[in-house]
Amino acid sequence: MSRLVALIASPRSVVFLTAVVFALVIGALNPNFLSVATLIDLLRNSLVTGIFALGVMMVLASGGIDVSFTAVGVFAMYATVSLVLGLDLPMPVVGFFVIAALIGAGLGILNGLLIGVLGLPTLIVTLGTLSFFRGALLTFVGTTYISNVPRNVIAFARTNIVRLENAVGQLVSLPLAFVVLAGVAVVVALMMNVTQFGRKIYAIGGSEEGARRIGIDVGWVKLRIYVIAGGIAGLAGMTHFTLSRMANPFDLVGSELDVIAAVVLGGARITGGHGSVSGALLGALVITMINTSLLSAGVPSYWQKVVVGVLILVGTGLPIAIERFRSQRARLARPA
Amino acid sequence: MTISLKRSLIAAALGLGIAASGASAAAAQDKSYSIVTVVKLSGIAWFNRMEEGVKQFAKDTGNNATQVGAATADSALQIQLIEDLVARGVDAITVVPNSPQALEPVLKRALDNNIVVIGHEGADLKNITYDVEAFDNKAYGEHLMKRLAEDMGEEGEYAVFVGYLTSNTHNQWVDAAIAYQKAHYPKMTLVVDKLESQEQQQVAYQKTRELLRTHPNLKGVQGSAGTDVVGAALAVEEAGLSGKVKIVGTSLPSIAGPYLGTEIDMISFWDPAKAGYAQDVLAVKALKKEPVKAGDDLGVEGYNDVKVDGKVVYGQAWVDVTEENADKYDF
Repeated sequence: MSRLVALIASPRSVVFLTAVVFALVIGALNPNFLSVATLIDLLRNSLVTGIFALGVMMVLASGGIDVSFTAVGVFAMYATVSLVLGLDLPMPVVGFFVIAALIGAGLGILNGLLIGVLGLPTLIVTLGTLSFFRGALLTFVGTTYISNVPRNVIAFARTNIVRLENAVGQLVSLPLAFVVLAGVAVVVALMMNVTQFGRKIYAIGGSEEGARRIGIDVGWVKLRIYVIAGGIAGLAGMTHFTLSRMANPFDLVGSELDVIAAVVLGGARITGGHGSVSGALLGALVITMINTSLLSAGVPSYWQKVVVGVLILVGTGLPIAIERFRSQRARLARPA
Repeated sequence: MTISLKRSLIAAALGLGIAASGASAAAAQDKSYSIVTVVKLSGIAWFNRMEEGVKQFAKDTGNNATQVGAATADSALQIQLIEDLVARGVDAITVVPNSPQALEPVLKRALDNNIVVIGHEGADLKNITYDVEAFDNKAYGEHLMKRLAEDMGEEGEYAVFVGYLTSNTHNQWVDAAIAYQKAHYPKMTLVVDKLESQEQQQVAYQKTRELLRTHPNLKGVQGSAGTDVVGAALAVEEAGLSGKVKIVGTSLPSIAGPYLGTEIDMISFWDPAKAGYAQDVLAVKALKKEPVKAGDDLGVEGYNDVKVDGKVVYGQAWVDVTEENADKYDF
């Protein structure tokens, strides 16, 4: 019994249950909502948030926080597209992703050096680099929309894994870019769970001083975390480019809080030591569902933000409240 | 040494060499003025286009009209540029403000120094001689609705996007459009409240998908931010509904180009070159103390029959772009 309670009270299940209830409510208001087509739409719409979330989850697990990843993503995306179009190279789609990941990782080095080597606070550093990367992009790389997308990228964007009709005869599709999310998820899951590196990340997040005393080179691990997170952000940026079929240097920045909320909803803690791939992905799906589905339920635009806020407070606050309550009960029950 | 030569020497010493030589050349028939346009930031397509209008004005009239702008859209940099111009003693400053409120003190200083100040996209500015707007927002919103209604056969369900629910111009456009629909097209219905795209194409895309699922009979979308129509068009294309849902809105050919004629029926915007030209025309009128009144012709396409409301001068300078004329614009 208590094990069942513990399972239900875990952050991930609270979020999952909230999501299910939420979906049922919307389904009751709009019968078209509960369908495979809706699920595919949700997956499609959460791709970019999902990829970003995986990088942010790693950072949160190590006890840090990153708010610069959207700027890294948009910088990598826009710089890659400008570069390829500027040099007029024949570039396979995979090439776009590789270059973007490399640029992202390169920007991540700066975060990593400031945080890992100089030991500066992560929030301050990434707030700074958020502004710095975006400013550098708009000042040195460009400010114009690029809508003349190479033909092979358009072809990639139009290639679908699944394509079917929804209840009202409209086509719904899951684009090939889903593979990017799946690939990143598998790699990060392996890294976090079966490598020494992954265990070190959790160790640092649990207790940095403790990790240092058992001989972990904390600075070096942190440097690597931010480089990898930068590379992942680059991939997210490029995915955004293929989905939107245009490169807009003003995009993405501003969606940091949605992604961080997704990761926190998925069970990662701002204080570090916790976080999982499945949680981050679930969080991304839930955030996307909340952000896009309220329209089906006829919730007016002004109210959507209120509902999003309430759901985040409940989703993150309830597990903590339940745990507090439980530990208090346990303390009272202990024989004096 | 004649007076005019002395004057030009002093001017040259002040770094106004070009203005002075222009002045002596045109001095025979008319006084030549130095007019500087200060834009939000330099280097982007929009303001490059505006500079073409300013250069055209200089060529057409012999006045020394130029354009300056900082590398980033920063109010502090814009204030600095204007301070420099006041110190240089130019005849007129025309300005596209980043933040109208922030500029008021420095613009007041310009007016105190007898410099004519002409705003654009700054109808709220107080310390100006005139402000010129490409159009009255209400008339523009109605214009977009007329086109949407025509495309939809004056019946069916439609929805409207604004960049942000807090953005003034966007809301004025769509409010006017909705009011016009209610008054003139009773068979059309607005299916949901104004939708917010957060100026992001992917948000407009996602909301349009959702909209299509919830209202399968949707026949029209009106966009406000430049990427609204593109996001809606992508959603319509992916849903296999190209041609069944009509899309009109504010955008630029460089953004909406790939979808024009297939998913997007028409986009509108105003030509910054014409706005820059009109600003300069107004500046000269003000310098010559000629009054500006309703019905005046500024001699620029779209500003041939202006409306005047206080210090604000409105044209009807929207430009409609469809598949046919999209290649005429490179911004």
